[in-house]
Amino acid sequence: MSRTLGWRAAPVFAALAALPAVPGMTDYYLLLAFDALLFGAVAMSLDLLIGYTGLVSFGHAAFFGLGAYATAILLERGILSLWASLGFAVVIVGLYALVVSYFATARRGIYFALLTLVFAEVVFTFFRYTQTFGGSDGIQGVPPPELLPGVTLDTPMRNYYLIVVYLALAWAACRVLVGSHFGKVLVAIRENEDRARFLGYNVQRYKMAACMISALLTGLGGALYPGRAAFATPDLLLWTVSGEFIIMVMIGGLGTLTGPVIGGAFFIVLQEKVSSYVDWYFIVIGAVLILIVLFMPKGLLGLRRLLGARPWRATA
Amino acid sequence: MDYLVAVLLPQLLHGFVFGAALGLLALGLTVIFGLLGVMNFAHGELYMLGAYAGIVVIGVTQSFWVALVVAPILVGVLGALTEATMLRPLYRREPLYGLILTFGLALVLREGARQVWGGDMRRIPAPFTGSTPLLGMTYPDYRIFLLAISCALLLAIWLFFTRTRAGVLVRAAVQDAEMLDGLGVDVRRLFTLTFAGSAALAALAGLLLAPVFTVYPQMGVEMILLAFIVVILGGMGSLGGSVVAAFVIGIAQSLFSLWMNPQRVAIAIFGIMIVVLIVRPRGFFGREGVLE
Amino acid sequence: MKRVTSLALLVAVALAVFLAAPAVAQQKVVKIGDLGSKVGVFEGYGKYQSMGIQLAVEEINAKGGVLGHKIEVIAEDDDTKPAPAVRKAEKLILQDGVKLIIGAVSSGSTMAVMDVTKKYKTIHWNSVSCAEFMRTTKFHKYYFSNQPDSRQQANGLAKYILDKMGKKVYIFYTDYAMGQSDGRQFKTALERLGGEVVGVAGAPLDTKDFSPWFGAINASGADVLFLAFAGTDSLRLMTQLHSFGMTKKYKLAGIDCFLLQQDLAAIAEPMEGFVQLNHFSAYNPDPNMQAFNQKFKKKFGVDANIAAGAYDAVYFWKTAVEKAGSFDSDKVSAAHEGLCTDATHIGRQCIRTEDHQVVMDMHLYRVEKGKNIPIARIDGKDAIGAAMVGQDPLKGFTWEIKKK
Repeated sequence: MSRTLGWRAAPVFAALAALPAVPGMTDYYLLLAFDALLFGAVAMSLDLLIGYTGLVSFGHAAFFGLGAYATAILLERGILSLWASLGFAVVIVGLYALVVSYFATARRGIYFALLTLVFAEVVFTFFRYTQTFGGSDGIQGVPPPELLPGVTLDTPMRNYYLIVVYLALAWAACRVLVGSHFGKVLVAIRENEDRARFLGYNVQRYKMAACMISALLTGLGGALYPGRAAFATPDLLLWTVSGEFIIMVMIGGLGTLTGPVIGGAFFIVLQEKVSSYVDWYFIVIGAVLILIVLFMPKGLLGLRRLLGARPWRATA
Repeated sequence: MDYLVAVLLPQLLHGFVFGAALGLLALGLTVIFGLLGVMNFAHGELYMLGAYAGIVVIGVTQSFWVALVVAPILVGVLGALTEATMLRPLYRREPLYGLILTFGLALVLREGARQVWGGDMRRIPAPFTGSTPLLGMTYPDYRIFLLAISCALLLAIWLFFTRTRAGVLVRAAVQDAEMLDGLGVDVRRLFTLTFAGSAALAALAGLLLAPVFTVYPQMGVEMILLAFIVVILGGMGSLGGSVVAAFVIGIAQSLFSLWMNPQRVAIAIFGIMIVVLIVRPRGFFGREGVLE
Repeated sequence: MKRVTSLALLVAVALAVFLAAPAVAQQKVVKIGDLGSKVGVFEGYGKYQSMGIQLAVEEINAKGGVLGHKIEVIAEDDDTKPAPAVRKAEKLILQDGVKLIIGAVSSGSTMAVMDVTKKYKTIHWNSVSCAEFMRTTKFHKYYFSNQPDSRQQANGLAKYILDKMGKKVYIFYTDYAMGQSDGRQFKTALERLGGEVVGVAGAPLDTKDFSPWFGAINASGADVLFLAFAGTDSLRLMTQLHSFGMTKKYKLAGIDCFLLQQDLAAIAEPMEGFVQLNHFSAYNPDPNMQAFNQKFKKKFGVDANIAAGAYDAVYFWKTAVEKAGSFDSDKVSAAHEGLCTDATHIGRQCIRTEDHQVVMDMHLYRVEKGKNIPIARIDGKDAIGAAMVGQDPLKGFTWEIKKK
């Protein structure tokens, strides 16, 4: 199944790669596509945790924000290499995720959600009040990073291709993971944690690993953000942003990986477009969420089944 | 000694007032959690609607006291409708769906309130404005009233849960709803009524606090995080624990802000919670094994 | 057959619309962007910014527009956060092709948008946010402002406080960009003039209960409380100060974002005697300002407030465009420097060349029975301070209190 899905994804990524060549494609739409794919990828990483392992993280904004701050801190100090900032982000997000996942995965359900939330609030508070990192203004106006010395990521087009590559790699990683033995154990934990434990699996270690992988993928996404936006601000770390990530996953469809990518992109485009016309778009977003929870718990991807497509999930 | 009387005691008093207010808000949250397993993200919005309903009722009747009775009833009815139409279908599913649904509901209610009443801040004048000399300062009467009525309400709720049949039933349902159902109690109605009661309590807190904290659409989202912390600290589903935790948080915040800058205060509060969760995950008074 | 017909009809209609479109748009159009908070804590400011822009644009269009172009306003909401602000600014510039962006409301958003307007070389006016970095470290060629920043306001207020209100001042500020900036600049200005800061404290944004800070204030022996708050925090703080009897015990002062004119009625009693600096007030006796306010009130049914300063920004830009004879950003930016216009709400105002700041008089008001009574006018040249482009405005600053 995973192999066929892998081949089916190829034309999608080819289409994404060809997007800038579409007539009428402007820099603005490329930047919007950047955001849509970036948050799609973040939602996908979160799905690894929520959809496959059954752990709802209400603190993913902290992983994203920490990644963004890692890049912004380096860029502000004149270290322009993209690879340096990605490496730095991995270290920072990794250390933080290690602590969070160690304590949070010891708990289940709501406790996990709230522990991740509170840890994330600590990170938010730290950046919000630390003047070295700009306090509530954050770090703003950082120069664009360099892919290689002399190759600066300063155009929407270059940034867009960067995010397509990131999405492709993250997607491939998630696919492989989910199809592997490791992924099967995660699903087993989601379905019945005690049974997985009786079968001899060290459940907490598996959960921690899932949490770390999800956090690192999210953090890497965050690390790519300042290259496009030129800032990292505390707002990125707010717990309501974590809530938005969950909304993206729910809209797309839990435990499908592809669904959350669509959900994330859908959310960004919806927010961008609806907010230009009406000022009550939060009612739209909230109502969409309620309706999905009540009537379409499988999200947008669930629609395919209604339309007569083949069942979309083989892993569960 | 002077320091004790002139600085510490007033600070303690501030903490008590805030803690009592927080306790009212957290109590409804913890009952719902214990009973339905739902962490209600929209609880803060019910608190907010209580204040706005109060403004509407005061506008019609010109009486704060009438509003204090009518507004919670209105919000309670809304709570009952919400439970019956949105939450009931979710009970058989995982608790996370309830969490996410109420998050969406919170967005709708907050933005809805902004559409109806506007985003500007409103103010409800306190029903009495005098002040009393207390501990070397002029302490507003309304705050003393707030402390008194909050404590009275907390006591009444405690009596309700320990001395009345309905209260005992709710506590029994927290323990084991299926068993209760088997015993012939209409559990569905019990759930709806409990949710309505929790909503009414949130609304009451919103209206009581409105003269001090003012009224605007985001007022709930800013309180809900603290209320969550209180519920977790107290032990999820534990009523007494929530009340104790509310006072601990209120007083800690008040005392800390005497010695630390806001950043450290916020981190200290989160720190207390993280430490408690790690050392004693079920909180002060939580029962062992509840959704751990 | 039927399908072919309808298809042909559709194509024909589409073609007709496509060909007709240029014919309809006879007059040439230039677009400008209105970026602000339409939702959230600062929505009051965002709405007035939009009104100010609308008023100016209607007047200009009625007189034939600018360089023969009709002005079209595209309004966007930034949700009071930097990330959406950047996205919306990019949309306005790259998609809509605006020649001018006015905004944003919160300092954090405005600074994030400055990076966008710098990158895409777009004229950018700020009429609301007041952090001290915008005309110093963040400054760029295309940025202009007619909102006095914290430094200007502090210079204006500190002297009056020392002369008329008291020497010992306690600074209480809201602990985020705006409040920190106001608190810092005020402390600097007051100490330079020989005043004594007897205490400082910051409360987080959206603090519910301010009473835990009151003990320290009462213990400080201050004569004057300088309050750097905004929006809902101001209203809550005043209500609580009043209930503790502290509005009578101290003389109170604040800067122009402290309270919007229309909120005054709600807390008239606590605000009694409050001295507020305001560069843009409906209570300004200046005849130009009164005429402007009449115009504004006739159109929108409310008094103008500081955010309506966006009206002037449109006129400055229009004047500069006409002087440059083009919409080219570099030419328009050059034309702005040193530019004066009589069209502002208060008559003639000029843009200083060095840091693109409009030199504006500061006005002080005292609240009496829910009305702002003008009490002093400080010349713009005294308040504006030295141009510090590229210099860190916080250099050497410390919150520590110098004991006398």
